[in-house]
Amino acid sequence: MNKVITINLNGVAYQLEEDGYEALRAYLDSAARRLEVNPDKDEIIADIEQAIADKFRAVLGVNKTVVVTKEVEGVIGEMGPVEDASAPAAGSPAADRAAAAGAQAGPRAAAPGEPGASPRRLFKIRDGAMVGGVCNGLAAYFGIDVTIVRILFALLAFTYGAGLLLYVLMMIILPSATTSAEKAAAFGGPSTAQEFIRRAREGYYEGMRTFGDRRAHREWKRKVKVEMRAWRRNFQREMHQNAHQWQQNWHTYWAQHPHPAFGSWLAVPVLTLLCVLISLFTFACLISLLATGAVFGIGLPAGIPLWAGFVILIIAFQMLKWPLKAMRHAYSHGPYGHAYGGPFVHLWSPVFWIVMLVLFLWYSKHHGAEVHEAMNQLRPQWHHAVDSFKQWWDRQ
Amino acid sequence: MHINEKFTPIRKGLLEFLVLKIVAADKVYVADILTQLGGTEFATQEGTLYPLLSKMRREELVDYEWKESDAGPPRKYYELTAKGREQLRETSEYWQRIIGTVKSLGQKSGP
Repeated sequence: MNKVITINLNGVAYQLEEDGYEALRAYLDSAARRLEVNPDKDEIIADIEQAIADKFRAVLGVNKTVVVTKEVEGVIGEMGPVEDASAPAAGSPAADRAAAAGAQAGPRAAAPGEPGASPRRLFKIRDGAMVGGVCNGLAAYFGIDVTIVRILFALLAFTYGAGLLLYVLMMIILPSATTSAEKAAAFGGPSTAQEFIRRAREGYYEGMRTFGDRRAHREWKRKVKVEMRAWRRNFQREMHQNAHQWQQNWHTYWAQHPHPAFGSWLAVPVLTLLCVLISLFTFACLISLLATGAVFGIGLPAGIPLWAGFVILIIAFQMLKWPLKAMRHAYSHGPYGHAYGGPFVHLWSPVFWIVMLVLFLWYSKHHGAEVHEAMNQLRPQWHHAVDSFKQWWDRQ
Repeated sequence: MHINEKFTPIRKGLLEFLVLKIVAADKVYVADILTQLGGTEFATQEGTLYPLLSKMRREELVDYEWKESDAGPPRKYYELTAKGREQLRETSEYWQRIIGTVKSLGQKSGP
């Protein structure tokens, strides 16, 4: 089990075993030394780091998050020694002398103001902003002082309010840099804890060179404390925001107050009516079957006794009614199966049924003769049905 | 590999010419250049290629734009400039002359 060091390559964090980190450090330092006289030194280093990052990514996966020393050495071997194409062959002693003077070339990918670094994104930065954070974000993107941007905007405001309009537009359009990853992208700088520690360590070494021991130590402690506190505060705020977001999600999806679907005041009575009609029709068919031995003229298939015809009819019509009943249930019940209360259940339903009953009675009164006749047919046909059943039973 | 070692400075010298030819054929990412050279005798590494490309860019022979690649951050997408095309034409002519010279030297003339 080896210690792991997290590095930053062009804004993405990679974890290397300690020995692998040392090997990579040595490779990049030697590259920086060889490119000392090259005007494109920083850009070339950034490209090399990007290529290294790609090769690292190829060996990493879901279950493998650390690049082992052997792999680091393999990648360095693939990259090959960095040869400066423009330096003359006799230039290396001079380069080594320059290196001995203590030049420290760290992986400073995408530092502000560097040409050819990976592109920075324009955000609104609300930390320490006066109104909306627009000037803050612009200043971070271009790498100039905030005050200058604010003065520019203030001057623009005098031109018939064009500056104000522009500011409001930007406040609406620009996204806020909320997460620390976005903030890092806004400044083009690193945001991991390791990076802070590395920066703090650099500051310490710098202090050692210029001041005395004690002062540098105090300065270093102060810097580290301030940066750690700021980082912790940011982290806590992010956690709170995430928790808040979770709460909101829960409320939206789970703590709903149930209310009926749109149009159910109409759908439920209509569906109920259809169900009732089908029931009545079933009844009529049954009576017809009983009275005439056939359903309104459609005879039973051969060999099927009368009582089977009854069963088939009932089942068939129930199947017809079933989707309608399901729809009605859906309209009148909530997502967890509870029935909706409310006027259309407790008032209109009984009213509906009363109306239906009245209609039925009126119909039977006016067409009473036919109904009577049908009813009279009923008894002998019922005996007929029972007899046929008995016969069938005896035959078994 | 004795012969291979003797030809190392020649390969190094020809690398810039070959990179010009590759970029002239098509716009490429750096990874593509490495792949194309990969199967040949001129296979090279990032440590050599990046400084070379940067020198060529300083001499305005090639230029790049940042283009999104399928996985990861945007990469440099190289293309040839007009000056680069001119340089390529001159170098190709010179190369043809060299080949002719190499071929004709040492031939005993006459029966």
